[in-house]
Order: sequence, then C-alpha cells, then structure tokens
Amino acid sequence: MADLTDFEAKFQVLTQVDGSARFESFGTSVLCSVTGPIEPKARQELPTQLALEIVVRPSKGVPTTREKLLEDKLRGVLTPVLVRYLYPRQLCQICFQILESGENEQFHSVRELSSCINAAFLALADAGVGLQNCFASCCAAVISNADQDVLINPSAEQLRNASSTHVLAFDSENGREPDSHLLLLESSGDFEEETLNKILDAGEKACLQTVQRLRQALKTKVEQDLVWRT
Amino acid sequence: MAKDIEISVSQGRFLIETLKQKVRLDGRRFDQMRDVDIELGKDRGDVMVTMGKTRVHCRISCEIAQPYEDRPFEGLFVISTETSPMAGPQFENGNNTGEDEVLCSRIIEKAVRRSGALDVEGLCIVAGSKCWAVRADVHFLNCDGGFIDASCIAVMTGLLHFKKPDVTVSGERVTVHPPEEREPVPLGVLHTPICVTFSFFNPEDTEENIKGESNNEISLIDATLSEELLRDGTLTITLNKNREVVQVSKAGGLPMDALTLMDCCHKAYNIVERLTDQVQRVIKEDEQTRNQYAAILSSENARES
Amino acid sequence: MSRLEIYSPEGLRLDGRRWNELRRFESSINTHPDAADGSSYLEQGNNKIITLVTGPQEPRLRSQASFSHASVSVNLNITKFSRMERSKASHRNERRVLEMQTALVRTFEKNVMLHLYPRTSIDIQVHVLQQDGGLMSSLINGITLALIDAGIAMYDYISSVSVGLYDTTPLLDMNSLEENAMSSVTLAVVGKSEKLSLLLVEDKIPLDRFESVLAIGIAGAHRVRELMDKELRRHGQKRLANASK
Repeated sequence: MADLTDFEAKFQVLTQVDGSARFESFGTSVLCSVTGPIEPKARQELPTQLALEIVVRPSKGVPTTREKLLEDKLRGVLTPVLVRYLYPRQLCQICFQILESGENEQFHSVRELSSCINAAFLALADAGVGLQNCFASCCAAVISNADQDVLINPSAEQLRNASSTHVLAFDSENGREPDSHLLLLESSGDFEEETLNKILDAGEKACLQTVQRLRQALKTKVEQDLVWRT
Repeated sequence: MAKDIEISVSQGRFLIETLKQKVRLDGRRFDQMRDVDIELGKDRGDVMVTMGKTRVHCRISCEIAQPYEDRPFEGLFVISTETSPMAGPQFENGNNTGEDEVLCSRIIEKAVRRSGALDVEGLCIVAGSKCWAVRADVHFLNCDGGFIDASCIAVMTGLLHFKKPDVTVSGERVTVHPPEEREPVPLGVLHTPICVTFSFFNPEDTEENIKGESNNEISLIDATLSEELLRDGTLTITLNKNREVVQVSKAGGLPMDALTLMDCCHKAYNIVERLTDQVQRVIKEDEQTRNQYAAILSSENARES
Repeated sequence: MSRLEIYSPEGLRLDGRRWNELRRFESSINTHPDAADGSSYLEQGNNKIITLVTGPQEPRLRSQASFSHASVSVNLNITKFSRMERSKASHRNERRVLEMQTALVRTFEKNVMLHLYPRTSIDIQVHVLQQDGGLMSSLINGITLALIDAGIAMYDYISSVSVGLYDTTPLLDMNSLEENAMSSVTLAVVGKSEKLSLLLVEDKIPLDRFESVLAIGIAGAHRVRELMDKELRRHGQKRLANASK
C-alpha cells in the first residue's frame, strides 16, 4: 500500500508575495501564499497582536459559504500557532488557491482542509513568519463496516463510502510523540466514542509522521537556499 | 487596484533610458514575447500557463442548468476572472471594480465569449429546460504583467482540453453517463482567439507625440510588471488563425499613428499563429499520453499477450 | 433577425445615406452656463448627449489630489429611457459602463494639459438622453466640446466616429440597426493627425480589410472635427459680438 502521508512540496512558486508553497498529495493540490507582516487596514488592525486575513479560493466556481467555513477553521488552527504578539498592529494575508480538489466538493472538504493546513505551514515557514511550533494535519474516514476501519487520508472514492469523516491537526516540535497537542478535530457523520479515540490515535500518528516529513522538506529547502555558504 | 504599487523615480528613469537605447531589462527584443509554458493537469480542463514569472491557472467545469428564457437553444458560458492578494499586494480580495481588473475581464469576455469561440448551441440538452453551463474560472496566481494574454491562452487551452460527460435524452429524461461508462465528449470550439498586448512609451515630450511627425514612440510586446507600471498606453489585439481581428482594445492612452497600429496587428498575427500551433501541439501530446494508458488498459491489449 | 436591406445594390443605406456619409451632426456649447464650467449638447443622428464639465476645482477627497497634475474623472449616466425599450435596471455599475468610463478618462488624460492644473480635479458628467449606435464616439465628441467650453487647455480636438464593415463595404457612422447587423470599429483621432487615441473593435473583422476601415474612419473623424470646429467658431463669434455691444 502506498504511504498515505506522502506528499510533494514546492517552495517559492510565487514572486510577488513573501512566502509561498504548493502542497500536493494524491489528487489534492493547494497553493498557499503568505504576505506579511504588512500594514493592515484600519478595520483589520488589532492593537496587541497580528491580524490575519485568510482567503480560500475554490478551483471551480466562486467562493461560497463552504469556503468561508474553511477560512474560519483555518483561522482557528493558525491563530494559536503564530507568534502573534510579536507583530502587534500588523497584518498577515494568507491566501489559498485550491488547484485540484481531489474530492467531491459538494459533499466533502476534508482533503482540501488538511492540505491547506499543511501548505500553510510550509508557506509561513517560507515567509519567515514566527511560529510557536510545527504543525500538520491529516484527514480520516470511517468505513461503514463491522470493524469500523479508520482510513487515513482517504481517496475521493473512499470518502463517498464513508460513514463519517474527520480532519485532525496536531502541533509538535519535531514529530516525536509526547509533546504534541491537538489543534483541530472536525468530525461529521455518525460514529461512536470508541471510534473517535481510534481516530485520534491513528490521526496523531499520521500527523506526527507528516510533521517529520514537512520538516524534512523544509530542511532540504533551507539547504538549497544556503548552498552558497558551503 | 487596491493599493497602487509604484516604481521609484530613478528606477523608472533608468528603464525608459534603456528602452531609448533599444534594450529591455530581460534581454528580449521589443517585439518578442516571453516563452509560454502550458501545463495540463490530470483532470480535463485544468491548465496552468506560465509566461516568465506571470502565472495563471484556469479550470473549466460544467453542470446542468436551465437556459435563459429568451435563448432556449443556447447553453450558458461564464468566464470568471477574480483577483486575490496571491497575485500581488496591489490586488484586493473580491474587489473587481478597479480599472485594470474591469478592462482585463471585459477584454477576455469579448475575446472568448462574445466572439463565439465556444459553440453555445452545442451545449443545449433539452431546448428551454436543460443545458450545460460551462464555467471557466481564471485564477491569477502571480502577476508580472501580461495577465490578459496569459488568461486568454489558459481559457482557450482549457476549452480545447475539457470534455463534458455524455448524455442521452429520452423525452424529458436526461441520463448523464459517468466517464467510466461512456467516453466524454469535447466542447465545440469554433476558433481559437489569442490576445497580444502592446505597451507604448513616449521617449520624448507630449507635444512631439501629438504634433510631431517623427513617430518615435516605442512599442513593446508583452510587458513585464515594471514596464506595465510605466507605460503611457496599451493596445490589446485579439486575432485568430483565420486572419480575423476578433477584438481590439486601445482604451485611450498615448495617441499612436494608425500605420504603427496596423504594423502591430501584423506582428501580432505572427505571434498568434505560433501560439495557436503551440496550444494545439500541447493538446495533441496530452491526448496521446492519455491514449497510451488506454491502450495498455484495453482488453484488446490483454488478448495479445 | 428581420430582413432589412442594410446596403442596397444602388449604394444606399437604411436611412438613405451613402457609405461615406456621416449622420446629421448638430452641436452647441455653453448650453448649461450656470450648472457647470463647461457644457455641450450634441446630436449625432439620434444620439442625444449632454456633457457637463466642472473644474479645475479642489478635489472632493484630499487623497485624490496629485501634486504634479490634475485628475480626470468621468461619470457616465445612461438613462433608462435612452433606448427604444426602457431598461429596468440602472446601468451605473455595469461593467460595460465602467469600461467606457475608464476608456474615456484614459483618452482625455493624454490630451488635456493636466500639468497646468496641479492639485485639482476635472469632473466630467455625461448624460445620454437617447442613443442610436456609435455611442462611444458621440461621448468623446461631446466631452471634447464641453472641455473646450470650460476653457481647459488641450493639445487638440479629439474627434471620434464609428465604422462598420458590411461584407466588403465600410460604412461610416452607423446607427443601431446597422451596428447590430455587422461588426464595428470605434476610433478617436487627435486633431488633423492620423494618430489614434482610442481604437475599439468588438466583433470579427478580416485582418486584411482592417486597414481600409481605419482609413475611412480617420477621414470621417477629420470631418467630425471640422463640424465641431465650425460650431465652436460660430459660438465664439456670437459671444464676441455680444461682448462688443
């Protein structure tokens, strides 16, 4: 079986913003750009901390309430991990462009959300905005059979047959277990408490693995950036 | 534009001075377009166009909708060009009332939709009640000038690449066949309009431009962002391979001699010819790679082995 | 589409003109002396347009002011009753209207000596009372007249006309019936030169015919310039006579 936390990351794909990254995994592809810290408009300004402007643009059609909801969830994940008291009265614009959804947009948004979170981590690191910690996300689906099997990063086909879908995000310094915290748990569908615990376990493992991979991707990038020093 | 980005006076003077000496900062000739890179995605109608640093993504999609009452035999076709701060700090999210945004979307609209590049009558399923609504969503990812040219290529490549699901109609009942069941059908693209944008600069004073006979104005093809910020006038010509002028837009700006503008048209035609060939080549190559897999997977192949 | 004979074999158009004839062109300036600094009323065929120019004046917002030159703004009001069929919605925020406003601003920005009026704004209001094809060109002619009436320094006249191409025959200054039946080119010429300040083509035209269409358009625009010039001189003389009385 293919490793489902596998992904492909590209940095600095855009030139007019401070940081950008493209995150691709199994049919879902997201481009994230970060501009900041910049001067906010008067109504966006927060007196003590960094203001966030988050924009999610779908691959097909105009942004709707679905994208607004994604923006809200992303804000919830990104606010605690940004060192926001370091940048009072400033603004950070984070834009997400879904290039390929990899799921049926009408019913699901789990793949898009988890890819957005991972892309945001890479783009924020690329932009050099202060982060409290590394973070990563994965999605999960529970198949409606007797065993209630948990699938990590399910495909569009598997999502269609799922009885419940979940998105998880954890922060962790280096992907080793004891220090991780849950940043996001979004579930929809029908499931038992027991199943949820199973999902949390499996999800944490997958997220920690993703953190390690994301860090590796960053490390490679920094090495390439600083190739002139050796 | 939300915030006007400005170029410093010294940088601007330097750029004009180099142009007077017939040099462009990126080493191109005045009538040379940047290389266009067209990338097709896994899904049909998913196109990424890169011209230098400019990058535009276009996604074609379709769904079944109700046609307009006054046009029961026509399908719907919408091109949406919305900007986001991703392309650069000068763009505001969801605000498309800036002068440049309006001009850009209107020109693409005229070049592709109004010129009848897509056969909308072919999108009709049941007259008056059901038709295909085709959307082209243009995403501006990175702005370094030439958005109009790049988006037009992206939309046209997307339309040529896209295939809509096959349908069968029996009375009022419409069955949509998923791609596994029946091969999807391509859209009816009637011609391929391509836009070429010229930027005009006036190296001398205004009096010379208006009263003089010298016609020393400089015209550049496919300006970069810094050239766009400094230009005095712009002209976008849309042509197709059949030697038809589809659309011309020189909305004010530096007055230019009519013969120079005709000359621009002929230069543009050569570029259009080349780009049309490129678009068709890319589509053909993609078709071949897709068919290659089909050959491997087909049962015909299995019998041979 | 009704079976109208756009161009008869005898060489006559729907309204009896020949291919190279302009529509009736009547203009007057200083029509609203108390309402604005410059005004004009233009009838080009059945197009009826009032233009008012105010300025150079202090900009409404401090942020609009530029220390080196005046800023031009155009406000286009296409009335709901201007066409045969009354339109229900206001045209004000249509993208087509926004595009026309931008094109008008950019056309006149390069022709008005803006550097003479730093830190000011010149506001142009156009009211379209009736329209019958070639709207953009009538707007440009109207604004030129009103700017001259306002005494704002310009390099030269900007005169504009639309040209259609019917099969292989170019038709000058089209009305709306002709405009709907064929592709049209709108061009604006600076003074007596052959320099085009504006050039808009919205439908398909063979590239090889384009040059002849442009040539006829330029000749037509020069004729429009003469007509505007005549009216301005007539008005000037009238004022001079009044002043010396």
